[in-house]
Amino acid sequence: MVETFQNLLLGFSIALSPSILVYAFAGCIIGTLVGMMPGLGPLAGISLLLPATFGLNPIIAIVLLSGVYYGAMYGGSTTSILVRIPGEAASVMTCIDGYEMTKNGRAGPALAIAAIGSFIAGTVGVIGLMLLAPTLAEFALRFGPPEYTALLMMGLFILAYMSSGSTIKTLASAGLGLLLGMIGIDVMSGYTRFSFDVVELGDGVGIVPVAVGLFGISEILLTAGQAAAVKVQRPRLRDLIPSREEFRLSVGPIARGSLLGFMIGIIPGSAHIISSFVSYGMERRLAKDPERFGKGAIEGVAGPESANNAAASGAFVPMMALGIPTSPVTAVMIAAIMVHGISPGPLLISQQPELFWGFVASMYVGNVVLLILNLPMVGLFVNLLRIPYSYLYPCILAFCILGTYSVANSMLDVWMMLIMGGIGYILRKFHYDLAPIALGLVLAPMLELSLRQSLAMSAGDYGIFLERPIATTMFALGLLLFLLAIKPLIFKRGKDWRKDVGLEGEQG
Amino acid sequence: MTEQTPQAPGKRGLKSDQFSGLMLVAFALYVAWENRAYPVGSLQEPGPGYMPLLLAIFIGVMGLLIALGGGKSQRLTAITWPEATRAIVILLACGVGAFALERIGYRLTVIALLIFFLGVLERRRPLPVALVSIGFGFISYYIVGDLLHVPLPRSPWGF
Repeated sequence: MVETFQNLLLGFSIALSPSILVYAFAGCIIGTLVGMMPGLGPLAGISLLLPATFGLNPIIAIVLLSGVYYGAMYGGSTTSILVRIPGEAASVMTCIDGYEMTKNGRAGPALAIAAIGSFIAGTVGVIGLMLLAPTLAEFALRFGPPEYTALLMMGLFILAYMSSGSTIKTLASAGLGLLLGMIGIDVMSGYTRFSFDVVELGDGVGIVPVAVGLFGISEILLTAGQAAAVKVQRPRLRDLIPSREEFRLSVGPIARGSLLGFMIGIIPGSAHIISSFVSYGMERRLAKDPERFGKGAIEGVAGPESANNAAASGAFVPMMALGIPTSPVTAVMIAAIMVHGISPGPLLISQQPELFWGFVASMYVGNVVLLILNLPMVGLFVNLLRIPYSYLYPCILAFCILGTYSVANSMLDVWMMLIMGGIGYILRKFHYDLAPIALGLVLAPMLELSLRQSLAMSAGDYGIFLERPIATTMFALGLLLFLLAIKPLIFKRGKDWRKDVGLEGEQG
Repeated sequence: MTEQTPQAPGKRGLKSDQFSGLMLVAFALYVAWENRAYPVGSLQEPGPGYMPLLLAIFIGVMGLLIALGGGKSQRLTAITWPEATRAIVILLACGVGAFALERIGYRLTVIALLIFFLGVLERRRPLPVALVSIGFGFISYYIVGDLLHVPLPRSPWGF
């Protein structure tokens, strides 16, 4: 505990240096603006800003990008509450009661509770990250290739279990992503696979063009041609203070959302989206008068907003401790660290304490920045929503091309982004989850390498996965969750947890 | 986002999940066919073609399951594509922009793209179109190219 405290002090000495503070501020402001723009979620925002971090030192880069991440999570809630447009998918649940509160003239308290909830959840998430990541990293030092294979397989099984839509479609999406990750040189044999004589494809497909295409371009293709700017309420500072009753009603949902969000955030998939759905479902179930939900219940804002912010912090635990991304956002952030020659993994925390603890401390700072900056400036930020979408989307498209090109000065990346945009558009029409594709792309090389290394270690004996207790446990856990995930498919009367919380779940 | 159009029960015709599942099966078969070029190796000693083949089989099986279980999904014809024409035009314009980027430089490409989107596609008034296009082209170049030192393509005329 004393060591943690000392490390945290080291982190604060880094995070409170003027240059880091400036970038934390900049990240939070950019993130808030990005989160408010439909078509530019946290992932597209981070991907577009990635090239700009190449010239910065790694601590500043990660502080800036994480500021964009949690800034975007907050920004999404503002548009949900004021105009019923979720700036990003995790804010969908906030729309329901947040916008009803706006219609009832309570937009200010809804925004304030969303901000306070986000702050508390963000802080709880950082404490969790601070306590859990070093312990997990220490434990992960015992991992060899079989354990990594089991861990990655478990991650994919959990992804199927936690998917918001159909399990089979999620698995198919993950398969497509894994296959995309097969493109390029096979490190063990030197074969170049599926490159179609394009030399640049030898290096594989980058996460940025895929992420920007799937999430940014496809959204624009779906929403282009939208009507003019919406009418936006502009809340005044004095209208923001919630009543005593609203505070009282929000305490429980914020506490539950924070814990739930953090736990869901650690596991793979679209955690921040799922956590907000689960939190909303839980609050509605726990409420004495659930009929208030959908008509402007403040718990319907406090719970999901806290949950999605805590999940954003939770996602950093496996990223920092294991070097494994559990979401497309953390995959891009890993790419940002690797550009600076730093390998994420269990040794990161011990070998790069300044990076980890500086990052942790900057998250505390970032949460405070978001709270004190966004509430007074909400009136200013909502002006962005007055810009007609017909002016916004061409600029966003230009940003997408600019950002993708500048990652590697590669035209192939731009083409890849456009192809992925088209594919994402079609897949969304058919209700396929896109996050597993991005995740599969990043996990594929790790999974293949660890599997083949494991088999090389055991002279081709698959029993190696059963001889090592950690690997066996992870495989068993993953398999159990997979069976639970496909249960509703086999037994039609089986209860699907996703339908209980308002997600799509299995059809039929 | 996309809306599920209510389906008329009992109507015949291919369903959306059946179609998408079959497309996945076709894609899996294509991947398996392309994978012939790489040695698969054995179960004990996987070669470079092993994992792609495994994934092709996996995607094929998933596609088959989606198609088989897709009887209750909406009809394929019920999926509406009102924005498709505009989406195709946007993608094509971006494709032309991508082609032009390294030939005529970042600023000219972005200005031309924005003039096309705002002036031609969205039919906005000429003055705002000119201001936004030229302003965005120059300001974004200044911020990203000059301030953040990200190398962006210039035209052959050094512009």
